[in-house]
Amino acid sequence: MSSYMGKLLYVDLSAGTSSEMTLDPRLVENFVGGKGFGAKILYDLLPAGCDPLSPQNILMFMPGPLTGTLAPAMRGCVVTKSPLTGTFADSYFGGHFAQEIRFCGYDGIVIAGAASRPSYLWIDDGKVEIRSAAGIWGLDTFATVDRIREELGDLSVKTACIGPAGEKMVSFALINCEFNRHAGRAGTGAVMGSKNLKAVVLRGSKPVIPADAPGFSDTVDQAYKELAEDETIASFTADGTPASIDFANEEQLLPTNNYFDGSFEGAAGLNAEAQRKDFWLRNVACAGCPIACGKVGIIKRGRRKGLVTDVVEYETASMIGSNLGISDVREVAYLVKKCDALGLDGMSAGGVAGFAIEAFQKGLITAVDTGGLELKFGDAASADYLLETIASREGLGDLLAKGVKVAAQELDGGSDAFAVHVKGLESPAWGPRSVPGMGLALATADRGGCHQRAFPILYEVGGEWNGEEVNRSALNGKGEIVAHLQNYLAALDTLVKCDFAAYGIKDSTYCRLLETAVGKEWNVEKLMLLGERIWNQVRLFNLREGFTRAEDTLPKRFTEEPLPEGPFEGQRITLQDLDQLLDEYYAVRGWDSSGKPTDQKLKTLGLDQMPALVQAPAP
Amino acid sequence: MIYLRGEFDLCTGCGACQLACSNRAAGGYSPRLARLTVLSENENLVNRPLVCTQCENPFCMHSCPFDAISKSEKSGVVLIDKETCTGCGNCITACPDNMIRFDNGGKADKCDLCEGEPLCVKYCVPKALKLVKKLEVREVTAS
Repeated sequence: MSSYMGKLLYVDLSAGTSSEMTLDPRLVENFVGGKGFGAKILYDLLPAGCDPLSPQNILMFMPGPLTGTLAPAMRGCVVTKSPLTGTFADSYFGGHFAQEIRFCGYDGIVIAGAASRPSYLWIDDGKVEIRSAAGIWGLDTFATVDRIREELGDLSVKTACIGPAGEKMVSFALINCEFNRHAGRAGTGAVMGSKNLKAVVLRGSKPVIPADAPGFSDTVDQAYKELAEDETIASFTADGTPASIDFANEEQLLPTNNYFDGSFEGAAGLNAEAQRKDFWLRNVACAGCPIACGKVGIIKRGRRKGLVTDVVEYETASMIGSNLGISDVREVAYLVKKCDALGLDGMSAGGVAGFAIEAFQKGLITAVDTGGLELKFGDAASADYLLETIASREGLGDLLAKGVKVAAQELDGGSDAFAVHVKGLESPAWGPRSVPGMGLALATADRGGCHQRAFPILYEVGGEWNGEEVNRSALNGKGEIVAHLQNYLAALDTLVKCDFAAYGIKDSTYCRLLETAVGKEWNVEKLMLLGERIWNQVRLFNLREGFTRAEDTLPKRFTEEPLPEGPFEGQRITLQDLDQLLDEYYAVRGWDSSGKPTDQKLKTLGLDQMPALVQAPAP
Repeated sequence: MIYLRGEFDLCTGCGACQLACSNRAAGGYSPRLARLTVLSENENLVNRPLVCTQCENPFCMHSCPFDAISKSEKSGVVLIDKETCTGCGNCITACPDNMIRFDNGGKADKCDLCEGEPLCVKYCVPKALKLVKKLEVREVTAS
């Protein structure tokens, strides 16, 4: 007995068939679940260079061996090849959907091909049906969930769906996993749209059973205790992620007016205090999470009065707030909810809107393109217009729907100077110019500009590494920190952990949860090796897709334009700095100077002779 | 007399209660096998824990043709005698809150308050689930 359900569900939408695939023990041993499964299966099943929006691409929903248990705060991820970046993409989601995959009896769902007409997938405790989505195609994500519940006559089914943006294959469309929980990044929703797949709907009642039930229960209690005793966790419970607005603003990390600056005079309008005053009513949690960083409420006054909204979490409060110069959190809440409804990633949408407004200021986009509207920072109407036009892909929206990287190429006129992305993924809300370790983390993140693969800011801003104070502006030593964090988090992304819970739960406790769940010995050393194996497996995928050292870079805004004012005025990460950071990082990783893992490194990780472990079932 | 009370204003909808309950009731984690449920409404603005309140006038007990259900005089807990239960399902139909289901062995199954120390309450970090002791009027006035 173990907490694995023992099989994956493989759905071929082109053929209209589904089949169950038994888990290969080598997949379990070497890749564990979640990101690990996704990394190996994507590498095995995709031909090099396949078009992310073609039926050849696969879309996977991957929980981990702890998802669905009482182990606190476990989630799932969507893994696919990104239409925004062309890289491997893993996008993590909370809510209750990942758990339900396991209750349906699977350790993951792999979706291949494309349906010939709008469809949704209905998986009822092991019974799989591809149903017509004719009645729900075109609906926003909220209406889609409602209509599906109505159609199936059950309020308790769990739905992952796309909105109009996903249907139109906007490159940064998301997959909504029911109410402010999303596989948000890197355009997973566009891949789903390309498959004519409006939704995946689940209902399951199979039990997840740990190998050592008493040992597992004891470790769950230990994890609960560690969360209860941690100050950072207490802050997430009290204030959610917008608590970071004040921190980022003081440290000049807060993107403001398309990352022109790192602090925003209207930050107090966006923070936890402002949100609590304007609308918070109660805490909300994802499945099995005692932290509850969600804060749902109803806007009390003003023109958005009556709007039900969850917390405007840090990333969207920044990317759609300060990055667009908007300081009224009620307007930001409205805009973020619009993103959710249309099925747009709010982070990328904020990055794209910031780019468009700056392009307008510089005369590269004019009122002719916007139907007469003047695009301005600090103007919610500008943002509102941009979101609508992107989701519908009409006029200017069609250009912007491709993301800032492609939009800048097509717009030309020097606009790449203010297209803020890494590998095509719009940067998250952590401006790195005064924190070079964070710059390195963004440059080397496997899916493009991402802060979740390593977050060295915690160490660079007043933290310690190996018992020594970390010098914020130094370049030396940052490679080791970034590589270590990437490995550790990649390992935990097999379980699949929540980023926030990982601040409170100890590494040894995660190991103990895993070993009592699956019945095999785990320790921290083995966990770190697992993370490194997965990081290298993903690197092999990206290398196969043609990515090189040249793409491990940062946007010009961070390399060429110093912070214009404030305590870190004048700071930037030059290309020379970046080279130094990369040299050290590659050396730590055991990669050659072009960023390719050495044969020796692959051998150490057991990847040198690793055969394909998953094959598509014969149609 | 003890029973469970669930508060919609405190429940975060995490469902840890159902996971803990199902593990005890069914030998594995699966919310649909739990003896309580959580209804989420209005984009999770409201999460309503639905629990067996150990009714004073238990429809389940009265509807059982085999007298397999009884109410403890001391604690007030409504219990199913699995030996006597035939699995006819009358009680399942009778409970308007859907608090009874079949267990793995086809017998009726409901909340037994974990012999006075409910696991759902233990894992409810936001304290939305409470084990409540009912006082008689004379006990209230006496205090």
